[in-house]
Amino acid sequence: MSSDVSDPDSLLPLPTAVFHILVALADRDRHGYSIMQDIAARTGGKVRLSAGTLYSSIHRMLEQGLVEELRESPDPLSQDERRRYYHLTRWGRRVAMAEARRLTEMLSQARETGLIPKKL
Amino acid sequence: MLPIGFYRTLLWCYPAPFRHEYGAEMIGAFAEQVREARQQGGWQAEASIWISTLFDVLVTAPREHSHVIHQDLRYAIRTLASQPGFAAVAVLSLALGIGANTAIFTLINSVLLSALPVRDPHSLVILTNPASNGVTIGGKSGEREELTSSEFRQLRDLSSVFASLMACQIQPERVPVRVDGSEPAETVVQLVSSEYFSTLGVPALLGRTLSPDDDPAAPNAVISYDYWQRRFGRRADVLGSRIAIRQGVFSIIGVAPASFFGETVGQRPEIWVPLSMQPAVLPGRDWLHENPGDREKVMWLHVFGRLKPGIRIETAQAAANVTFQQGLAVFYGSAERARRQWLKLRPAASGASQIRGQFAEPLTMLLLASGLVLLIACANLGNLLLTRTTARIREMSVRLALGAGRGRLIRQLLTESMVVAFVGGIAGLGAAWILRAGLLRLVSDTIHLPGAPDARVLGFAFALTLVAGLILGLLPALRTMSVNAGAGLKEQGRGVTGSAAWLRTGKFVVVGQMALSLPLLVGAGLLLQTLQNLQHADLGYVKERLFLVRVDVQMAGYEEQRRLAVFQRLLERVRAEPGVQAASYSKSGLFLGSRSSGHVKVEGYTPEGGDGVRSVWDHAGPDYFSTLGIPLLLGREITERDRPSSNKVCVINEAFAKRFFADRNPLGMHVDRYEIVGVARDSRNRSLRDEVEARFYIPAAQATDVPRFITFVVRTVAEPSSVLAAVRQTILSEDRNLPITAASTLTELVNRQMVQDRLLARLSTAFGVVGLFLAAIGLYGVVSYGVARRTNEIGIRKALGAPHSAVMAMILRETGLLLAVGLVSGLALCAAGMRFITSRLYGLAPTDPVALGVAITVLTGVALIAGWLPAYRASRVDPLVALRCE
Repeated sequence: MSSDVSDPDSLLPLPTAVFHILVALADRDRHGYSIMQDIAARTGGKVRLSAGTLYSSIHRMLEQGLVEELRESPDPLSQDERRRYYHLTRWGRRVAMAEARRLTEMLSQARETGLIPKKL
Repeated sequence: MLPIGFYRTLLWCYPAPFRHEYGAEMIGAFAEQVREARQQGGWQAEASIWISTLFDVLVTAPREHSHVIHQDLRYAIRTLASQPGFAAVAVLSLALGIGANTAIFTLINSVLLSALPVRDPHSLVILTNPASNGVTIGGKSGEREELTSSEFRQLRDLSSVFASLMACQIQPERVPVRVDGSEPAETVVQLVSSEYFSTLGVPALLGRTLSPDDDPAAPNAVISYDYWQRRFGRRADVLGSRIAIRQGVFSIIGVAPASFFGETVGQRPEIWVPLSMQPAVLPGRDWLHENPGDREKVMWLHVFGRLKPGIRIETAQAAANVTFQQGLAVFYGSAERARRQWLKLRPAASGASQIRGQFAEPLTMLLLASGLVLLIACANLGNLLLTRTTARIREMSVRLALGAGRGRLIRQLLTESMVVAFVGGIAGLGAAWILRAGLLRLVSDTIHLPGAPDARVLGFAFALTLVAGLILGLLPALRTMSVNAGAGLKEQGRGVTGSAAWLRTGKFVVVGQMALSLPLLVGAGLLLQTLQNLQHADLGYVKERLFLVRVDVQMAGYEEQRRLAVFQRLLERVRAEPGVQAASYSKSGLFLGSRSSGHVKVEGYTPEGGDGVRSVWDHAGPDYFSTLGIPLLLGREITERDRPSSNKVCVINEAFAKRFFADRNPLGMHVDRYEIVGVARDSRNRSLRDEVEARFYIPAAQATDVPRFITFVVRTVAEPSSVLAAVRQTILSEDRNLPITAASTLTELVNRQMVQDRLLARLSTAFGVVGLFLAAIGLYGVVSYGVARRTNEIGIRKALGAPHSAVMAMILRETGLLLAVGLVSGLALCAAGMRFITSRLYGLAPTDPVALGVAITVLTGVALIAGWLPAYRASRVDPLVALRCE
């Protein structure tokens, strides 16, 4: 797995879906549908991941070590056996930070050139 | 709305491992999404979920597939890189196998399949016979293979069915050409009608092509791209340059595009000049006009037409025949005679070709043989891959035990074999390029074929690579089918060389290889023997120390009444040349391709049709038969005494006597007005294979028309080539302007007859040897593997006192059994393949016991050597070491 690659920049830029998933997992572990709901809620319904994109991204993120699958459900109330929960790894957090930094830099560059106003 | 089950079906678009891993989750998430949408927004929201999900599947499913392929590829390349020896052997074998097949296919493609590089080749038709190869002078009946200039002019105005028509010289001439006053160089010049380029739809690369304005004998010339490059270094100021061709000086008006080689596959004219310039390029005779009733009309043109849109070829043929026969009716003054000749129109997308008929069959046979070799090579590599798979059984078992799907493992193996095949295929294209050049040289140095590989060749190589990859991967994949997680792990205990199943498959493959090698070897033997037989074919005279020189006196401007004298004078001077044992001449000569034939009346023979019979004849000089050494069976030969004023005589050959006189004495009878004075033994002068034709010889001095050219036949005391040069000089010293249109030893001419036979014999031998070698390696591998597996058993036997010889016999018996089964299957294949080869054989049957015997002996010998080596090693096994193996 790539989790031992020390430079998070090697994975940048992240696909939009991957970044959204990382953000969704930042505050707590979630199952797939919960990730979809969180993203939709945070973006006011503008970004709605479909199941294919979600699991295709998770598949790749697992290989890259950005997330890991939890053996047991963190939600003791959940009755659904099918549900698998995903957890953001330390490496995943570093990569998400790096991506956020990259986006911030881009934004500030655009501001400096006057392409966009200082405050949107 | 759609049921959720439909989404489950959609999941089949994803790779199986992905589906197994995430399928249930995806369905769950999707079902929640749909449920939520229903609650919140009704059917519109649900529809929007379905639509976005459908798009999502379309995007993500291919991405997952490519991800898996990418992973497999990386793994395969890593595995192969860790075994560079194996990879090199595999790639090299495939490169050669695919290369040889592709090289032969490129020839088949350019000779048989390719369309001409012209505009819309599929609307072109040819009105003459595309296989015709020269000039016919005189009468003809039946389908017309060539046309005369005036016949073309009559047809040209047939605008109801053709958008345009063009005519071109069938056999371009190799003539001395001077560029801007430089030394003359032999160049291929073709006379074409002014509509030639426009009908074909070939624009000029530089300048312009010929146009109807060039018709009233304008001395303009278009040159080929190659010639432009070679003679003019692709200079742009070539236009307007002057070139001298025989008696004409031409001005270059254009350069043809690089891809354009003319209308005939196998030819490559370098200069095209207008048909109307014939008197300057082919002086001495009017080839452009004929008077009604002319006995000697010259048929020398191919005619191509471009059909008008919507016109069918049958309609065009009917219309062309009406015009053609109207013209003939005027020419002969008889509508009935005119109806005895007709035109047959054929599609001409692939142009004309004299070599197509000649090479179609040999090339197809060679493709078959090289295909067999590739199959044997693939089987060998498959076997090698199988050994590696067997060695990896443990790895596979572990992966299976850890939950990898069997399909995934098989796909991994197939990916590996495909990687090998594709690298081999790409190298094979390079090999094909080199092999093709060698093949062409083997065929002939006068046949030119377009070089660039087209989509069809690339497609062929690709398909071959795919098939090779599948065959390679098949054995290991089948083997994996039978691996089960537990057994693989257990088997490891017996060492790496563990699998009896592999040995069974390996033996099966080796038997197949030997079975395939046998027909290759038998075929090679038969074709080699055919070549031998042809080389020693009885011509009816001795072919050594004999050469021919053809002189065209008409082209040098000699009128008929002066020709006999010049023939006689030249003959005397040739005979006086040192080293010449005997000399004479005839019109057609030997193996030069020319031939005179027509209707004759044979005294006492009543043909069924009434009008006379067709026969071949030749004009012979004095002592023609004794010069060649053809014995006279009856009567006398043609001598100096047969003058124009003396009794008209002729000599017939045996075939003529048998056909027309059966058991009567032909001496004293007449062919036309010539009295038969001799019967000569049959001799060959056109073909080594065909039956000798009925033929008669009249003295050149007594012919109605004195020949326009003659061919000297010269028998020398010793090796002929030095004398040949001297004789050439002698002829030129008589008259510098005498064109020598052919000069070559008979051995060379006869060898030219055997081009395809030599090609077939050499290549099939090469394929036979390679096939045999590969089969031997395969056998060696399998027997060695068997011995390694039985090291232990051999040790026990030896410990119990078995001698070396008993151990060897045991192993060799196994080889013998494999060989026997291989031979029997091989013989069955030979029997099945017999019909492919029968027509190529000469002087022997496809069941020839010598060829069969030699092939079986060679295969047996090589197999025994391949089996003997491991057997010998087994017999030397030290029982103590062997037992320790356990």
